[in-house]
Amino acid sequence: MTQKDAQMTLPLMSRRARNGLAAAGVLGLLALTACGGDANESAEASADDVQANGSTLVVYTNSDSHTNAEGQQSADWLTERAAEEGFEIEVVGIGGGDLTNRLIAEAGNPVADVVFGLNHVFFSQLVAAEAIAPYTPEWAQDVSDPALGDPSGEGYFHPIVQQGIPLVYNLDAVSPEEAPSDWTDLWSDEQWHGRYESVIDLGGATTQMVFSGILTRYQDPEGELGISDEGWEQVELYFEHGNSAVPETDAWVRLADREVDMAQQPGTSSIFNREDQYGIEVGMMEPEIGIPFAVEQVAVVNGTDQEDQAQEFVDWFGSAEIQAEWSENFGSMPAIQGAIDQADEQIVELHENLQIQDIDWEFVAENLPAWIEKIELEYIP
Amino acid sequence: MKSTVKQMLKSPFAVVSLLILSWFVVALLLWPNINLLFETFFPAGEFSGRAVERILSSERAMRSLWNSLLLALALAVSTNVVGVFIVLVTKYFHIRGSRILWLGYATTLVYGGIVVAAAYRFIYGSDGIVTEALLQILPGMDPDWFQGFFAVLVVMTFATTTNHLLFLSSAIAKVDQQTIEAAKNMGAGDWTILRRVVLPTVKPMIFAITILSFLTGLGALSAPIVLGGRDFQTIAPMILSFASSPHSRDLAALMALVLGMATIAVLVFLTRMEAGGTYFSLSKVATPLDKQRISNPVANLAVHAGAYALFLIYIAPPVLIVLYSFVDSYSIETNAFAVANMSWENYQRVLTQPNALRPFLVSITYSALASAIVGVGLLVVVRILVKYRNGVSTTFEYLLHVPWLLPGAMIALGLILSFDTSSPLLFNNALSGTPVILLVAYVIIKIPFTLRLMKAAFASINHSLEEAAVLMGAGNWTIFRRILLPAVLPVAAAVFGLNFISLVDDYDTTVFLAHPLYQPLGPVIHQNTQSTTDLNARANTFVYTVLIMVISTAVMWLVYGRTTTQRRRRPRGQREAPSGSEHVPSVARLVHQPVPGAQATGYAPAAAAAPAGAEPRS
Repeated sequence: MTQKDAQMTLPLMSRRARNGLAAAGVLGLLALTACGGDANESAEASADDVQANGSTLVVYTNSDSHTNAEGQQSADWLTERAAEEGFEIEVVGIGGGDLTNRLIAEAGNPVADVVFGLNHVFFSQLVAAEAIAPYTPEWAQDVSDPALGDPSGEGYFHPIVQQGIPLVYNLDAVSPEEAPSDWTDLWSDEQWHGRYESVIDLGGATTQMVFSGILTRYQDPEGELGISDEGWEQVELYFEHGNSAVPETDAWVRLADREVDMAQQPGTSSIFNREDQYGIEVGMMEPEIGIPFAVEQVAVVNGTDQEDQAQEFVDWFGSAEIQAEWSENFGSMPAIQGAIDQADEQIVELHENLQIQDIDWEFVAENLPAWIEKIELEYIP
Repeated sequence: MKSTVKQMLKSPFAVVSLLILSWFVVALLLWPNINLLFETFFPAGEFSGRAVERILSSERAMRSLWNSLLLALALAVSTNVVGVFIVLVTKYFHIRGSRILWLGYATTLVYGGIVVAAAYRFIYGSDGIVTEALLQILPGMDPDWFQGFFAVLVVMTFATTTNHLLFLSSAIAKVDQQTIEAAKNMGAGDWTILRRVVLPTVKPMIFAITILSFLTGLGALSAPIVLGGRDFQTIAPMILSFASSPHSRDLAALMALVLGMATIAVLVFLTRMEAGGTYFSLSKVATPLDKQRISNPVANLAVHAGAYALFLIYIAPPVLIVLYSFVDSYSIETNAFAVANMSWENYQRVLTQPNALRPFLVSITYSALASAIVGVGLLVVVRILVKYRNGVSTTFEYLLHVPWLLPGAMIALGLILSFDTSSPLLFNNALSGTPVILLVAYVIIKIPFTLRLMKAAFASINHSLEEAAVLMGAGNWTIFRRILLPAVLPVAAAVFGLNFISLVDDYDTTVFLAHPLYQPLGPVIHQNTQSTTDLNARANTFVYTVLIMVISTAVMWLVYGRTTTQRRRRPRGQREAPSGSEHVPSVARLVHQPVPGAQATGYAPAAAAAPAGAEPRS
């Protein structure tokens, strides 16, 4: 194509106009695709499209998979309950560590409107990344102990559920008298080798809390990432003598099947519910040093385009009425006094007697991502 | 066929299109990957060897890298063994029922990647149908027998023999019957003929497929995730887990870079090796190949047995999945199959319940959009690239091959890292966290494949038609609309179809970029594979799989099936462009050609070694 091509492309006026039109078409197509991604889902999908009509609240949580007596998951329960109240919500459930990462990654362009269920360590990371916005809910005054909330005092996030992170053991296999007395016993005492579940997916909040509880005992400014060699050795031993978790298989299933006899428990709040569900009775290891205590919080996501609605939802969800219902369904220990008063006595009693481990949370929040990375790279089998 | 840049710039259409293309190449193809380099080695503005140090000192990371390499090597061998065998028994040897056999072997053409891995897990996994049956016979058997390196290799082998079926089959069919006759006359046996005559003539194709298999193994993500278990971890899943943490992203980036470098190194090395070899072409007037009888009765029996054994392995997963997609969730859970329990209930649920239907619709929307954009975009671009051959257009052509050199994980990560806040490159928009990012990634990964086929289609148009039109005074647009478009439309439609079916169940790119509210099938199927809570999850996955297979079969038939009937029917474009379409090769033939058009322009980048239509699917 030489001469003829040149002739062919002689810029005749009309042709140029048509060419321009075609180019505009290409541009238009590109523009179309820029907003096309969310505009052409199914009728159903676009009906509850967030950005498009601004009616659905996107709620991120790691507390999506608790189950109530009817076998309903907490995400579904909340969606239905919120709908009764006129809130159209879409619950997205992701493990705590991953959820935090996602919120930080999306900080420039948030998808979620509300986040709940993470504990203060993760919320502190979110505050640092400017991923959540300060808001004081109507019920903030009624929180049983102000120390449960945002330690900075800025009021970025507010407590809803109190949790200890314990190790539980199947009472059919281990009696309370002979049970291990601390995490370190699990690997220092040979009789527990291979009998406790070691978790290899570090994305969950529970696992990260367990490691925080162990590592902070070995704080050493000279050590790697602020932890002494002895501390890191504990992590190594934890994996060496643990019985690796099976992906997506709940530890309680394995406890009930006697595959393992001990496992970390995502929170003291749901122990009684789970005993009923899985038909086993468990004991709770009570180390002298105490157990990590995590308080689940709720907050409004920074940069949400539905701030008013998000705040309304937080007001409603954290209220004594709803938290009492949540507690009734999922066996949680509420943080708000009005809900504690209505909660199951057994649950309240359990939490009142909990020995809480004294943890330098600021130190943890600062180092946790680096710890997790090191464990992922060097210790996971 | 050269034209200067000056000529090119005289056409406003070309100028505008090239401007858009330049923006696309710079903003979405080059910058994200360059940025990835920066993020890895200059995380805070100054050089840091942290990522390298961390990775090198991590036993797990090094083992994963080693495993990826091992998988790539093993896959390159195993795929060839199985692939060459199935092509020989369906196209070369006289085997009874070879058409049925072909249909069985072709099942992995219509379901790929994570769907294949999930299917094998459903059947051979610890609570799979076959495993439970085996446990009844052998109670002491390890229920996790189908896990680890072996399982990953098996599944990926079967998933990648599609390349052999598509490309080696046609290469074998072109072997000249006369050369075989000649060899026979000289006293050569079956085995000697195969080894000394047939295989050497298809060596270039085997070579190209080997490269593809190697690369597929190197970047494997879905199969190791679903079937690797604890003992066989590869690098791509590790990239995935680090990519999600802002603190550890540089590690993910580094590992993706390592994967990218390995890919490029392999391509360069193998292309060099190939260039060193001498391959002879066949006689111009080849006599069509007759199927060869195996003269040794024992060998004949063994080959028959092997062919049918493989056939069973190939068809077991799809057949069982189709059957089980009709029974209730409880029967699926307990592996109890009864014809009496069969119903349309699962289909009804998936097709009517919004939650179950949604991933399917999301996938279809994404795939259709991405295939349409890449198809229309490249139609315009290729037209310009073919029309104006000069330094600029050649450079663009090279650049558009970039996605072929990079693993999907690296492309995804580059996009996430580069566009997590509003970027001037995107006119102050952000991509991360939006549903658009996945669409962009889909378009990017489909560019090289689409480019090759479209270019081949344009190249095969008879130029005298266009010249005649010019002489008769037809305008640029008229020529495009009346002559070029009808001529390339069948190919464009086929490319659309092929892109569509490969994206619809994509996992490897999707899992990095999917929007939490718009989860496509890939990640959902993966979740369902592992879910122990939702009873309907498995049943839903079966239905998804069957629907994907139905759609893919329809597309494959439109693309390939029609060529066999073409002699009887007239191709579609016939009426509109009477003489043009005669020169349009069928898509199937285009797809079968190793690198159509590439040699003609004297350009052969590393990736050109891969067959035009070849795409790693696992």
